[in-house]
Amino acid sequence: MTAIRDACYMRDKRSPSLDGRLVHRASFFLCLKVSLLLTLGALIQSCASYGSHATTMRDGLLIGHPELSLAIAEEKDKDMEEVVSSLDKGMLRRINNNFTGSNEVLEVAKQEIEKLYGFSVTENLASVTINETMRGYEGDRYEQLLLHAYMAMNYIQLGQLDSARVEMLQANVKMMEWGDEPDEDAFLRYLEGIIYESLGEDDSALISYRKAYTIYKDKGGEQYPVMPELIKKDLLRMLAWQGLWSEYKTYKKEINMPDFKPVKDSNKFGELVVILNNGLAPIRNEKALYIFSPEVQQNLRVAFPAYDQPKQNLYLSQISVDGKQFPLETVEDVDMLARYSLEQDMPGIMARATARAVVKYNSQKTASDNSSIAGLLMTVTNLVTERADTRSWTTLPQEIQLQRVLLPVGEHTIQIQFLNAAGVVVDVIEEQVSIKPKRQSFVIKHWNTPVPKSKIGIKMGVAGSAVQGGIEETAVARSAK
Amino acid sequence: MNLYNPTRSLLLPLLGVLFLLAGCNPTVSRVESDTVTDLSGNWNDTDSRLVAQEMIQDVLSRNWLSKFNRDKGKAPTVIVGTVRNLSHEHINTRTFIADMERELINSGEVEFVASADAREEVRSEVKDQDLNATEESRKAMGNEVGADFMLQGSINSIVDAVSGEQARFYQIDLTLIELGTNRKVWVGQKKIKKTVEKGGFRL
Repeated sequence: MTAIRDACYMRDKRSPSLDGRLVHRASFFLCLKVSLLLTLGALIQSCASYGSHATTMRDGLLIGHPELSLAIAEEKDKDMEEVVSSLDKGMLRRINNNFTGSNEVLEVAKQEIEKLYGFSVTENLASVTINETMRGYEGDRYEQLLLHAYMAMNYIQLGQLDSARVEMLQANVKMMEWGDEPDEDAFLRYLEGIIYESLGEDDSALISYRKAYTIYKDKGGEQYPVMPELIKKDLLRMLAWQGLWSEYKTYKKEINMPDFKPVKDSNKFGELVVILNNGLAPIRNEKALYIFSPEVQQNLRVAFPAYDQPKQNLYLSQISVDGKQFPLETVEDVDMLARYSLEQDMPGIMARATARAVVKYNSQKTASDNSSIAGLLMTVTNLVTERADTRSWTTLPQEIQLQRVLLPVGEHTIQIQFLNAAGVVVDVIEEQVSIKPKRQSFVIKHWNTPVPKSKIGIKMGVAGSAVQGGIEETAVARSAK
Repeated sequence: MNLYNPTRSLLLPLLGVLFLLAGCNPTVSRVESDTVTDLSGNWNDTDSRLVAQEMIQDVLSRNWLSKFNRDKGKAPTVIVGTVRNLSHEHINTRTFIADMERELINSGEVEFVASADAREEVRSEVKDQDLNATEESRKAMGNEVGADFMLQGSINSIVDAVSGEQARFYQIDLTLIELGTNRKVWVGQKKIKKTVEKGGFRL
């Protein structure tokens, strides 16, 4: 920086024909600005509009070709320095059934988030002088927690339950650090309970279920979905298994489930746990607004992020096994969480945007007072650099849905069915599951939209037996019928 | 006087950028493998080494060893089972198990048999020899030494945290169990406590 400054000063000295002091200041500002721009040019370019990048990237998912989305994601940020790119890569690798690779890149994201801890002087300065994307993106709290959840799901799918447990403990530490205003995630607590239960740690599972229940109760409908039936049953069942009968009675009354009878732990049954990642999280778009600044007595343009698309209607989903149907329940509404989170951040975003607008206005004014070209250049610069921060983890699902079904020990063919508003099955994911006594068998899938029939024909012809997993599986299931 | 000469106004900041980048080379310095290097506060090589040292000293100084020697007239054969990681970090338990194994074997007091995974590989090799190796060099199957004891254990952790500050407590428990009788002949324990403080500011 000093080198740039010195260079700028030297150039001033060689222009004696102009008024020394004024030019000094103006060209110094300009010089500093241009150099900053150049240094950060690449950066601005790359996150100029994360929102539009995300839209392109997600196209593959919507036409049933997750590998195309992955290819786009892998092209971006090859050094794995940006948290948001790593999160996208992690999710898309998962969707493409590369669980080990997914965890590798998510672990990188985790480390980068850790590095971004603390207040950054330069980034915050840049965010009030250039734009919000100059701030390191560490993800909103819900994204940071879901990072652990997806790593845990990867480990579950790799058959490493102990490692999934580690992820849950790390999320726990994270929530603990946030401390005073508890930002606990209901789904994370619930998943934690399920993981504990599948490791035979029923006492820990009970604590997690209790916490999940409390979060759904306190924040259901606002930040989290309305209390799912699932958690009520799991809490009661676990209380009964632990022999905590007085607490059991209290909760049973509160929950109002007089007919509930806890199932007995039996060697003849095992549990099927289906986790469905349904749809896609909303994308932030840039909005601009003119606000009046009393400081400079002017209307100033500010850019800010907004969710301008309404919430999508998801297809209904259910599990079909042994001739019975079980609806999947929403345990995490990422759409709702994302909107809630942005709403909470909005006052801060607007305050910084206003401060930035004033700084930019002043720089323009100073520059144009001295030279019209400088003023024009500054105005253009400020217009171009005024960008909203549209970064968010957009490969997350819109909703995470879950269902647990007790099944007799042995092999089962299960189907996840998707229904339209008329109740007609539009798509099916089929999976073979082996149920083991007193154990949990997990089926974790991602799904967005029914794949058009013509596409399936093409794919079956070209890819043949190579199709596998996730969305692709639907094609296999349907062709088998 | 052309103040906005494009080449000039481009050149100067570029030079500045180069100047800035020049300071970003990685610096590497070699250190002894027993130097304590605490960077993030996470479980690291120092913890692993301390655990191995403590455990080895303990396991070799206890009387299960002399008792076994006296009763059986041979060195005990040990196999390493699983060491479960129940802590909040992804800990590679293999490093300190390998350290322990090496020390125990080199002490001459204890013999080790290969773990279940390694045995499989060795067996398939012996099987292969059955078909392809010469008569003299061929190893017969069914000559494996059964272990007398199994080493099992777990790593647990308790973390207490407030914003920017953490107290981490690790407890490593190892148990030596006599095969057949399921008697615990030795229990080793090592506790490690750390406090970690994260900076509130960065550049």
